[in-house]
Amino acid sequence: MAEPMTKDDAGRSGAPLIALHQVTKRFPGVVANDAVDLTLQKGEIHALIGENGAGKSTLMRVLYGLYPPDGGHIEVRGKEVKINSPRAALALGVGMVHQHFVLVDRFTVAENIILGAEGGPLVDLDRAVKRIEEQAEGYGFKVDARRRIDDLSVGEQQRVEILKALFRGVDVLILDEPTAVLTPAETKDLFANLRALKDNGKTIVFISHKLDEVLAIADRITVLRRGKVVGETTPQKTSKEKLAEMMVGREVLFRLEKPAVDAGPPLLQVEGLNLAGKLHDIDLRVGAGEILGVAGVEGNGQGELAEVLIGLRPPDSGRITLDGKDITGRSVRQNRRLGCAFVPEDRHERGLVLSMTLWENSVLGQQSRPQYLGGWGVLAIKRIKELATRLIKEFDVRARSIGNEASTLSGGNQQKLILARELEDDPRLLIAQQPTRGLDVGAIEFVWKQILEQKEAGRAVLLISAELDEIYELSDRIVTIYEGRITGEYSPQDPPEKLGIGMTGGRQAEREAS
Amino acid sequence: MATEAATQPRIRPEWIDFLVAQLIALAGAFAFAALIGAVIVIAYGEDPLFVYRTVWAFGTSRPQDFAIVLENATPLIYSGLAVAVAFKAGLFNIGVEGQYIVGMAAAAAAALTLSGLPTVLLLPLVIVAAMTGAMLWAAVPAVLKVKTGAHEVVTTIMMNGIAVSLVAWLILHPLRSDVTTTDLRTEDFPASALVPNLATSLGIEDVIPDSIVHLTWLFPIALVVCVTVWFMMFRTRLGYEVRAVGSSPGSAEAGGVSIGGTQIKIFLISGALAGLVGLNHILGDTGYLGSNYETGLGFSGIAVAFLGRNHPAGIPLAAILFGMLLRGQDGLAILTELPIEILIILQGILILSVVVAYELVSRALARRRQAQLGQAAS
Repeated sequence: MAEPMTKDDAGRSGAPLIALHQVTKRFPGVVANDAVDLTLQKGEIHALIGENGAGKSTLMRVLYGLYPPDGGHIEVRGKEVKINSPRAALALGVGMVHQHFVLVDRFTVAENIILGAEGGPLVDLDRAVKRIEEQAEGYGFKVDARRRIDDLSVGEQQRVEILKALFRGVDVLILDEPTAVLTPAETKDLFANLRALKDNGKTIVFISHKLDEVLAIADRITVLRRGKVVGETTPQKTSKEKLAEMMVGREVLFRLEKPAVDAGPPLLQVEGLNLAGKLHDIDLRVGAGEILGVAGVEGNGQGELAEVLIGLRPPDSGRITLDGKDITGRSVRQNRRLGCAFVPEDRHERGLVLSMTLWENSVLGQQSRPQYLGGWGVLAIKRIKELATRLIKEFDVRARSIGNEASTLSGGNQQKLILARELEDDPRLLIAQQPTRGLDVGAIEFVWKQILEQKEAGRAVLLISAELDEIYELSDRIVTIYEGRITGEYSPQDPPEKLGIGMTGGRQAEREAS
Repeated sequence: MATEAATQPRIRPEWIDFLVAQLIALAGAFAFAALIGAVIVIAYGEDPLFVYRTVWAFGTSRPQDFAIVLENATPLIYSGLAVAVAFKAGLFNIGVEGQYIVGMAAAAAAALTLSGLPTVLLLPLVIVAAMTGAMLWAAVPAVLKVKTGAHEVVTTIMMNGIAVSLVAWLILHPLRSDVTTTDLRTEDFPASALVPNLATSLGIEDVIPDSIVHLTWLFPIALVVCVTVWFMMFRTRLGYEVRAVGSSPGSAEAGGVSIGGTQIKIFLISGALAGLVGLNHILGDTGYLGSNYETGLGFSGIAVAFLGRNHPAGIPLAAILFGMLLRGQDGLAILTELPIEILIILQGILILSVVVAYELVSRALARRRQAQLGQAAS
């Protein structure tokens, strides 16, 4: 372990603040980082991008002392160092904020920040609060250090995590997919904070696979693919398309051709749907061959809407009809039999049984269909395995064997398996909730194409998403949802600002204005 | 995302790793339990090697010894299965105890009231009565759970207490024998209601005397039931849905599975299996139901199911192990000064070390698998 450096050393011109040389990290059977070179300069925002499993997080965990490297070495301020624990990394001025926060909910902001850095047996909270707030102000953070963590929004909690690292005097801050948990507005705030940090001479490593964000915030971009650095560039020299191609290794289409399909008569009709405190007087209609996008910030009743429509919970009042047939309050099994398919927001809680095999998962939802049952309720395993083999092939699910547990698949492959399963057997209505959450560009493209194909095949699609890109890319019509109410109907030609009004509940305001 | 398939040339199927790991865990747990047991035995001033040798010898030296082990194991296989099937759906049936006690009473009532029937009719009817009685006893907590959310652990424990009192009343009043006045018991069952002794049927009662060993056809039937339960769990839609509900209720529900309905079904099956637990005792051994009937078989079933990993292949092995320890108690009582509870302590230590060992191994496996997939990276 090297000694902590003083600030003056850092400023030495030319030499990078941190240099990783030929860093290699192997896991059994996989080379997660293959002779990676990376330099971090003082006062830059350096984006590290790549598909899921490309080795971005692994590389940063090596730098943060969580994984010992199998090869190569790390230099901090020109001196070779061994970083064998996060404590050693912090002593060298390297801090990391993980995707999942590690905060004590019942503690205040200040208590969380000084936790582990109290500096003695006695805690002077008032002084700590003062110090934290001074420091936060210096970086343009708005934080009330006396509030409890469980009263804070996700964005605010993330700010506390960042302050926690800064409080420990870090010069390099690693952020692992920081925007994955944020709303668009919170992302904007975060970016403002990051720029302020940069102006104060801090170095930020920004791990992401969201290309728009990377282009907006980064000074330099390093792209990893399958554990190797495939290129380094700057936002000025590159474009979203070029970055995606570097990440995936082939061209990725962001603009998909929307097939022109005349929307048929309404297939799904929802009238006056209410669910205690969650949904209020929802009216919707989706025609055959039409994609209706439901846009909204997460947690505004979208989950409840999807659950009511597929039959997971009965509404308090209102009417749902599918092709003229009243299906209000029917069970999931009945709805599925009528041709409803459901891509849930949460793959693990509502999609797959992770401890069961791929072939068992590939029939979930269809298990009572006669073609998958022999006599006496015995499963027709041979036919189910044929189904699984076919689905996996058609949807390019990368799996070693259909006998493996679903938990062994990566997130993108799990999502492909769910899509494959749900689109099998010609559904008439597809309810897709956040279908690309957590997926990387290659997989997103795939999922989008599949959804557009459904439309082309004359199926009704209800797309519920918080990603405006996705809503715009796929929808024929858009409605916004806010606090359980539909707050407006828009066309994909309307500018995002206009949708923003609906997504924040400004229906009245908008009406008055027009 | 792309790494797994491409860079992995050949990898053993997962289940082999899994099995090997489980065996290592078991061996480690046994060694650890034996070690702790040795310390206790030494504290008593006895020789641990002698104690273990005695337990082994009493269970294996003669065919009749092993037959006693299997006799001991028979009810435990049924109770282990009863606990395991419920557990697969995420339900904890602590009530196997009460369910089999009610099952015995139902069997006794059937045997005594239908006593005129021939064996081919009576015996199956008696068995069905036992299963039905136990199933009804299980139905109460199952329905309470699904309709009101009352936790099955609490309700089944309550039902156990009620079962004991109910059977005490039955033996005291409607089913009481008027032949003996001293014992609280039913009349002897008609011979046509009894399960034939295995040794007698096979003509080997000179090797395994049927006066001492009550190993009946209920043992081979237990093995058949194991296979049946395996088939139900892994080859039928019900078993599929039960496992889905047990491991991911949300996904099962979104897949159109009724959680409550599935739970009720499997709890009734668990109860029916529990009904078989007490049959070897009354139909293979005593020939009547007395107030001093065997207790605790349901609770032992929890340990057996646990040790057998809730799997129909593991449960008979665990039951035989328990049968052996039970038999070993006879040996220790005769040859040593040790209290026989020493083997109960040993059982406890064994179960604890198995818990820990399984947990350690499954974590190690999960870590390895994660590492193999490079998922540790994301």
